[in-house]
Amino acid sequence: MTNLAHQGLFERVANIFSLVDNLGDTLSDAEVEGLLRVLPPESANSISALMAPHLRESSLVFLRTLSTWMREARAMKAAGGKIIMVPFNFPPELITAFDHAAPLTVEVLSTLGVVALEGQGERYWDLAMGLGLPDHACSSNTIELGSMLSGEDFRADGLISAGPGGCDANAKIHEFVSLYMDIPQFVLEKPVDRSPEAVALYRRYYRRLVRQLEEFIGEDLTEEKLRRVNERANRCTELYYELWELHKVRPCPIPNLFSLFVYATRFSMWGTDTGVACMEALVKAARARRAAGAYPAPREKARCLWAYTSIYYDFLGLFNWMENRGITHLADALDLFMPQPVDTTDRETMLDGMADRAWDMPMTRQMGGPSMSAAWIEDVLWAARELDAEAVIYCGHHACKQTWSVVSILRQELLKQAGLPLLILQTDAWNKRMTPIGVVQRQIAEFVDQVVAPQRGGEPTRRRRRRPADSSSASST
Amino acid sequence: MDDLFTQATVYANDYVRQWREGGGRVVGYNCVFAPLELFEAAGLLPYRIRALSNAQTDLADAHLSRFNCGFCRSCLQLGLNGAYAFLDGLIEINGCDHLRGAFENWQYVKPTPFFHYLKVPHIVIDDALDYFADQLVQLKAKLEIHFAVTIADDALRAATARQARVRELLRRAYALRERERPGLTGAQTMALVLLGSTMPAEQFIALLEKELAARENESLPAPRARLLIGGAATDEVELLRELESLGALFVTDSLCYGARAFWSLTAPADGDPLRALAKLYLSNTLCPRMFEDYPSRSAFILAAAERARIDGAVFVHNKFCDVHGIENVLLRKHLEEQGIPVLLLEKEYGAHADRGRLKTRLQAFLERIGRP
Repeated sequence: MTNLAHQGLFERVANIFSLVDNLGDTLSDAEVEGLLRVLPPESANSISALMAPHLRESSLVFLRTLSTWMREARAMKAAGGKIIMVPFNFPPELITAFDHAAPLTVEVLSTLGVVALEGQGERYWDLAMGLGLPDHACSSNTIELGSMLSGEDFRADGLISAGPGGCDANAKIHEFVSLYMDIPQFVLEKPVDRSPEAVALYRRYYRRLVRQLEEFIGEDLTEEKLRRVNERANRCTELYYELWELHKVRPCPIPNLFSLFVYATRFSMWGTDTGVACMEALVKAARARRAAGAYPAPREKARCLWAYTSIYYDFLGLFNWMENRGITHLADALDLFMPQPVDTTDRETMLDGMADRAWDMPMTRQMGGPSMSAAWIEDVLWAARELDAEAVIYCGHHACKQTWSVVSILRQELLKQAGLPLLILQTDAWNKRMTPIGVVQRQIAEFVDQVVAPQRGGEPTRRRRRRPADSSSASST
Repeated sequence: MDDLFTQATVYANDYVRQWREGGGRVVGYNCVFAPLELFEAAGLLPYRIRALSNAQTDLADAHLSRFNCGFCRSCLQLGLNGAYAFLDGLIEINGCDHLRGAFENWQYVKPTPFFHYLKVPHIVIDDALDYFADQLVQLKAKLEIHFAVTIADDALRAATARQARVRELLRRAYALRERERPGLTGAQTMALVLLGSTMPAEQFIALLEKELAARENESLPAPRARLLIGGAATDEVELLRELESLGALFVTDSLCYGARAFWSLTAPADGDPLRALAKLYLSNTLCPRMFEDYPSRSAFILAAAERARIDGAVFVHNKFCDVHGIENVLLRKHLEEQGIPVLLLEKEYGAHADRGRLKTRLQAFLERIGRP
């Protein structure tokens, strides 16, 4: 029997998620209470956040989506198919289109490990550090890849890298794992400019990747296979924009955690029936909440856009913590993948459309743009205006050196062009060791109370008035 | 050699000042993918931005963050504090995330009269080569317009020939350094390479010819250990000198401000000189920012190790540099598989106070490899 202590991240996460398949479509408070008692503390924390009454039903659909994703990957491996690891900034539907391959997304797995596993995947990070990898590598991918490097996890058959030009840390760690473990890697390069020639070139790069994968997997990507995923991806896209529109309502009827639900679905099951069902469930819940005028707090104090990623190491608690204080999390930059429908006329139109969607994946689109700051500012400003945001928060994940290197420009331009204040945090978004969540909460609360509220016309939260100084304490400050 | 050392370790050295006094214009770049021949053919002096162990980064830290590498913060600092006021233009290249940020902030805060972003692909295939060749066409056009010059094919060919000669002479310098009884230290060689990227090629050729002739029959004492130094953008001549003061010599290198800046750039093919340049730089430059090309980089290092008969290798990277920080771990694995002991050093760029720690680490490494 496998020693659980030596299992890799994927196996452990997939086992935990398989429990979800035994749950009903709805759970009563008593059932949730029972569930929390039997789960390990870490999983219980996250489940507690996900089972908040106003998002319980949606969370169950979302959890089942991820469970299905992992179950299908296991089944694919068992049937002799290939598992292709993809980064979050690569559309997985290309892999899904193959009959004999399944995608697993590195950063999604790391995040699931952080929110569900005892030790939050830190052992895998530590193992990677033990190999000598620098501690400024990115935990979002190094946790899962560290698990693969341990030899205790499943072994991917191939790796896709879409990081060059968008993120050095991402691109280099994928290359490292490929070379260290002798796993074939397929690189999707992106030209930096947005000229028509560059777009055409990117489409050729994308087709090169498709050809490489067809050869590696040993299967042709027929028009029929591409149409199957693209029709479903297009449906996901429609639902994405319906949610986007609903985000504009004041107070925002959409629970904060939906932001993560949307991009996790994008990064895993986009283009599948399961993905469509998940997006439909999110839209349905959002519509119902809008009809009911629902908002979790007495009033919406601040509508915030997150400029890059969120923070995941506190078992998803931060999303609800904000919401309960009237702080709306409208979207991350990870939600800014700007999907457009793919023309399903024929194979070539679909490949062009898929390449264009790959171009627009988060990080690729912003950091891989003609200027790191310009493309990022443009998208954040656009989203902030669209969603009527009053403030922007940058999570300050330590490994995002590309965003760190231009965040000062973002801050100045947001203020100059839209009067939007930017809160800059400093964390490791996937590892609690760097910044206690209490510190993050305090910074967000102070920002909202002292900066955002006054701008909105409210009064800043007043500090407790000090007693008049008496002679004995007059010199103290 | 002392004067050479002095000239190499100041920003506006005598050669730059003379060039400027003669009405010449200077364009700064940082990344080894910058096609020097193109600037030279335009009558411009290509100047490789360096930070020379500058540790003061207060101005830069208001723009870049503490999570960005100290070298790039130092370069930005020098851009903002006026140390590079003599530059008439600046070329940004997508060498790494930190450098891009440094150049973007530099332009955002204190724009230079001329600025161009040269976009270099990360892979070497025909499509990427076409793209890069087109990028050079665009750069050429912008240089011609801004500086009111014409870059003729003949001038490009002549510049190409001069740079080929520079690289040939630098390889000779490395041969001196790699001898059984080296003629140059690692620090001296770095100073040579640094100086060469701040002065007109013709003058550098003359200087190199004279210097190499003078050093040909000179030998340094046999070192305590023969080491290769590789890794990140390291232009810290003083650091190398201090490390070599332990008695070991860096008899070869794979540094960005060292062999990787010229070694593999052999003469380009005939034909359209601009396309030939594109091919020369894209296909041959050895840099961990390139993908699908690791075998070339490790082969280059193994060849240098064999040529210089090293006892061990030291790979350095500046804190927060992912490109080298991650690649160095892979290189250690592959070199150790070949029986070459490796020391990995993470360092804070320009931190003088950290040099004691680095020397202690190197001392321990020398003891480990039996060269106490």
